[in-house]
Amino acid sequence: MNRSLHFTKREAEGGCGVIGVASSVPVAGRFLLRPLEQMHNRGNGKGGGIAAAGCFPGREDEYAIQVGYLDPSAIAEVEKEVFTRRYIVSEREEIPTVDDYRDVPGIEVEPPRVIRYFCRVREEELDRFMEKTGLEDRAAAEDEFIFTVSGGLDDRWYPAEGEKRAFVLSHGKDILVLKGVGYAESIARYYQLDNISAFIWIGHQRYPTRGRVWHPGGAHPFIGVNSALVHNGDLANYHSITEYLAQKGLTPRFQTDTEVAALLFDFYTRNLRYPLEYAIEAIAPTTERDFDMLPKGKQRLYRAIRAAHIHGSPDGPWFFIIARNNIAESRLELIAITDTSMLRPQVFAISRGTADIGAVASEKQAIDAFLHDFAGEGGQGVCPVADRVWVARGGSHTDGGAFIFSLEKNETGNGRKQLTCIDKFNHPVEVPGELVEPGDGPALFSIRAEGASEVEKFLNGKTPEESFSGFTALLKTADYETSAAKISGLAEAAAGDPALFDNGRLLLSMIHDRGVHYGEKKKKWITALAAAALNRLFSSLPVPAPGGGPNRNGKPGRVRGDNLAVRFGVTEAKELNSFATDIHDDAVSWTMAVDAGGFPVEGEESVAAFIVKAHEHGFRKFLVYNLAGHRFLGCGLGPESGGTVLHLYGSSGDYAGSGLDGAELHIHGDAQDQVGQILKSGRIIIHGNVGQTFLYGAKGGEAYVLGSTAGRPLINAVGSVRAVVNGTCLDYAAESFMAGESLDGGFLLINGLRINIYGEVMGMEERFPGSNFFSLASGGAGYINDPYRSMTEDQLNGAEFVEFSQKDWLVIEKYLKNNEKFFGISINGDILTVDRIRKWPQEIYRKVVAAAFW
Amino acid sequence: MKKTGSRHKKAITKFLVVRGENCMACGLCARACPEGVHVREPGFNEMSTPLSHLCPGSSCAERSDSCVAVCPRRNLSVLRDPQYELLGDKRWTPDIISAVMLMAETGEPPGDISYRTGDSGDGFDRLKLAIPDWALDESGEDTEDLPPVDLGVALNRRGEGPSIRISVPFYGGGMSYGSISTCVMRMRARAAAAFGTFTCTGEGGYPDELFPYSKHVITQVATGLFGVREDTIRRAPIIEFKYAQGAKPGLGGHLLGSKVTPEVARMRESVTGVSLFSPFPFHSVYSVEDHKKHLDWIRSINPNALISVKVSSPRDIDMVAVGSYYAGAHIIHIDGGYGGTGAAPDIAKKNIAMPIEYAIPKAHRFLEKEGIRDRIALVASGGIRTPYDIIKIIALGADAAVLGTSELVALECVRCGNCEKDKGCPRGIATTDPKLQTLMDEEWGVKRISNMYAAFQEEISRILRAFGLSSIAEARGNISLLHHPSYPERRNP
Repeated sequence: MNRSLHFTKREAEGGCGVIGVASSVPVAGRFLLRPLEQMHNRGNGKGGGIAAAGCFPGREDEYAIQVGYLDPSAIAEVEKEVFTRRYIVSEREEIPTVDDYRDVPGIEVEPPRVIRYFCRVREEELDRFMEKTGLEDRAAAEDEFIFTVSGGLDDRWYPAEGEKRAFVLSHGKDILVLKGVGYAESIARYYQLDNISAFIWIGHQRYPTRGRVWHPGGAHPFIGVNSALVHNGDLANYHSITEYLAQKGLTPRFQTDTEVAALLFDFYTRNLRYPLEYAIEAIAPTTERDFDMLPKGKQRLYRAIRAAHIHGSPDGPWFFIIARNNIAESRLELIAITDTSMLRPQVFAISRGTADIGAVASEKQAIDAFLHDFAGEGGQGVCPVADRVWVARGGSHTDGGAFIFSLEKNETGNGRKQLTCIDKFNHPVEVPGELVEPGDGPALFSIRAEGASEVEKFLNGKTPEESFSGFTALLKTADYETSAAKISGLAEAAAGDPALFDNGRLLLSMIHDRGVHYGEKKKKWITALAAAALNRLFSSLPVPAPGGGPNRNGKPGRVRGDNLAVRFGVTEAKELNSFATDIHDDAVSWTMAVDAGGFPVEGEESVAAFIVKAHEHGFRKFLVYNLAGHRFLGCGLGPESGGTVLHLYGSSGDYAGSGLDGAELHIHGDAQDQVGQILKSGRIIIHGNVGQTFLYGAKGGEAYVLGSTAGRPLINAVGSVRAVVNGTCLDYAAESFMAGESLDGGFLLINGLRINIYGEVMGMEERFPGSNFFSLASGGAGYINDPYRSMTEDQLNGAEFVEFSQKDWLVIEKYLKNNEKFFGISINGDILTVDRIRKWPQEIYRKVVAAAFW
Repeated sequence: MKKTGSRHKKAITKFLVVRGENCMACGLCARACPEGVHVREPGFNEMSTPLSHLCPGSSCAERSDSCVAVCPRRNLSVLRDPQYELLGDKRWTPDIISAVMLMAETGEPPGDISYRTGDSGDGFDRLKLAIPDWALDESGEDTEDLPPVDLGVALNRRGEGPSIRISVPFYGGGMSYGSISTCVMRMRARAAAAFGTFTCTGEGGYPDELFPYSKHVITQVATGLFGVREDTIRRAPIIEFKYAQGAKPGLGGHLLGSKVTPEVARMRESVTGVSLFSPFPFHSVYSVEDHKKHLDWIRSINPNALISVKVSSPRDIDMVAVGSYYAGAHIIHIDGGYGGTGAAPDIAKKNIAMPIEYAIPKAHRFLEKEGIRDRIALVASGGIRTPYDIIKIIALGADAAVLGTSELVALECVRCGNCEKDKGCPRGIATTDPKLQTLMDEEWGVKRISNMYAAFQEEISRILRAFGLSSIAEARGNISLLHHPSYPERRNP
């Protein structure tokens, strides 16, 4: 038999956009649409799909087998030869669709007709099967029977070579998959999934490299029994995994690497009945120093798992999200596993409140979009901001690079399930429970603003720090409603008096960005209220009148002391030229607020391109808000853009500030991947976390991060780039750092701090949890705030610890002062005071330089 | 074309013309020699040292009217220069090196030197043109009345954006500042400008000295991102994303501290004396959607540039080519494994990438099958040495070729392979050492490369005419122009 024919990968899988959501209350499919839409540019419309678990209430004990028919004439054949013979079908229904697929934008090929059969295996068939296979557990045998029969169905009606007529989309209990050639949200719309509710959803935008992909079988999700998997990445060892699977009697049928991943997972968890930890270890083995850090017993266990399954372990960049109905343990699970080198972007979030939500996606902005929409219309009173956001360390001893959101089947009443989140090692990801939720969260956003006279004193005359501490002290004792009224009052006051605009923006931004103790209230609600207030403040600015002429007040924009401010949205964008003429090219003294809503996320009409045009007209101060994954912000401003300041509000997208040469970029909230690449000069200030390859290839400039960075920050940076990270960095930080001499070159400073729910700045247990710090570096310096000397030599690679001198302190002090100004992380209080004792800098900081090999 | 002789007193030569001591300076040899080997400078009463490198060798010497035959004192002899055999290697044979040098000197095809194939026994050396040599030779004659052959190649075929056309089917490949000097970069850029084609900065930054020729300069965004800045991206009509080099796929680059001179450091914005490492791959690109995002980023900085994606030749090159097209590339540049200077490790050069003559047809056919072949320019590089190689790779499916080493050989590189040692090239080409750089004069180099381009142009036209073709486009993917001895049945009648 020509086995190699089966093992040829037909479609080089590219990257993709993925999202998964688990919720304690059922979520309607339509809430997945915007996150998926906003990840359009991660797919190319050649494949998309969606899976749901916990979607058939009352039918949890039956298998829901969904068959996609490309050729309607196959329906009768399949039903006669498979369903009538093998199964007892209790209900047969065709999935309703939009009448004409051409009415749904983004679908080029008619998706298959899908018929769903709720069924069980015929008793006599199952008896015969158990006898033949020797399987003794009746439930397991039934699963295996379904799996085998579906495989046969695919072989016969969806052959690799030959006419493709019908295939199995999904065949588990309480789980469904729909997929096709098109964008995921188009597929969802076509099959009218908008109003179907489920506890777990996963979605996938596909970007297959081959262009003319026409067959829906190749789209994600792929299935095991009772599980569905989506994938972003590319398995380098597809061939070896198929060989491994062949030894287990498993044959992939659709020639894409995601399918083999789904088969692997199904094999480990269903056939071998591995607990998730074992299955995850088999897929993503713990390596290098992380393995050494494991307890001895675990090492022995993992070694055994590795010995058995290393040939099936996927290699290369990949990230899996799996929806699974864990019948044996009565749980629905959303599982996400990242590869051991952390080469694919991923963000996790958890939010507790009136409904508990766990989410994971390729981009943070997709999670933001989901929470925003669900908070808005979900009717559950949830907050549009998550309690915790984090990234995984693939293959690590710390979290294992995998997290599992579980929903206990035992309902807590009124149709709710209990959400928990654990990592690979069963450590829970907790949200402190001592804080209270507002009685009616959504109502807070429409509470009447407090009178201007009450809050104006915080906008007048004081330093920003004084105003901030004064105002937040008021909030500490106030309840949610009063706080909302006060925050809203700030926006009203600042909107009403142009002289107060800047101070208002600054104070609201500080409330939005910083962690402070708000008594019993949760920080996330204060952040959400501040975000809404900022939006209101920006929306209060006048837009240029159509045609560019003076607006209603007789003047373009309005006078604010010496400053002028105007607002542009997508409809006003075309007025830019005439407006610039009207203000006699005095754009430099204007502040421009840009409402990003409605602008495409990239391309010539994007908000980033608009800012470049406005910059060419001389505008220098930009407040960009309502961002939803918009990319390339601050790119294209050109050299010597010093004096330009951009503030980004909302969910900024990838590549923000890449190429920046002089300007100052503030990102209020989390930033995404590839931020600040080739930064040459200027500043990037991120009031949150930042994604992968931050400052890759940077040449100079300064960067400040309030939170943490994902893997590989400052990789390949040269020159004199200087970065302060107040949280921590994941592995390969400052790899191939070539930033000159250790004192006058560049540096990466890691403070390893976090802010707890009481607004206190705390040291992290591991200041740098990863390994390969300064790997292959040949210059520059690393400074670690490590008072307990917890970091060890084996976390470095080709680098060494050297003495931290007074000169080093003189170098970094200036940047720590800026850091204090931007984020309120105090040098004396938060950095140099440990366990209430004031220390010398050399007792706090350790210095790493490249080891001299040459 | 202006005759531009060697900058060395003694040029590389295959034959050594030896004049004995009995010369009476009668000048008969000078009259007999059609190549100008024998010269007596005005005002001298002795013959100059023979310009041996111009001598066609024993085939000429054996004729009855040769210099050897006419010398009344039987004082001349033509020998093989023993040093000649030590030149180059199997792929760059002494004949190919001296032919390219001769083209750089004269601006014309090199005549009798057998430089059509090398001795490697594979690749372009095994592939032959499906036409007898005599037909090729004849087609060079009396071309004046014939219409010119159209050698132009369009680089933007997507139907939108700037239309960029090169008037010869080749351009200069990426060589970084650091690996070569600004002087050599300027020579290449000026020659490219004169011939309506391009040169490429490589990844070591974009020297200001190239500014005046920016319309003919491609800049590279490579994995180390050295010297990549918004203003250099904005300057370039074409931006090349270098994912890998055929000579060392899967390996990064390493510029040792000793080569990071103050000038190199300034350009790469690094620090003098600190070793520089260029990784493999792009740390921000691990999948095709990352790649598209990466392209979109550069386009957001320079929306008018054409995008070229340079990759080595992996097994799934067809997928890579198609994926690049869908991600928005205008040019897919496949770099095969035969190229590379002395800086690429031998083990990598000879063992990793798929030979370019396999990779190009694979990508070409797959693009055709996808129906997008005419929407992207496919260019090939990696060991393309001569006009013959260019015709061969185009017949295999490429639109144009990218030259690297040939241009250095035109500047009298002898392929000694010492590019990476100490301060670099003993001939002052692959070096940034201030002293070694002075070994060459810019004007001289511009003429040498231009001469080579002119000779290539003429030779390509001649070959196309011999096949009865009137444009280079007709040759693309036309494998009937080729003959491979392993497949004799395909031989044309």
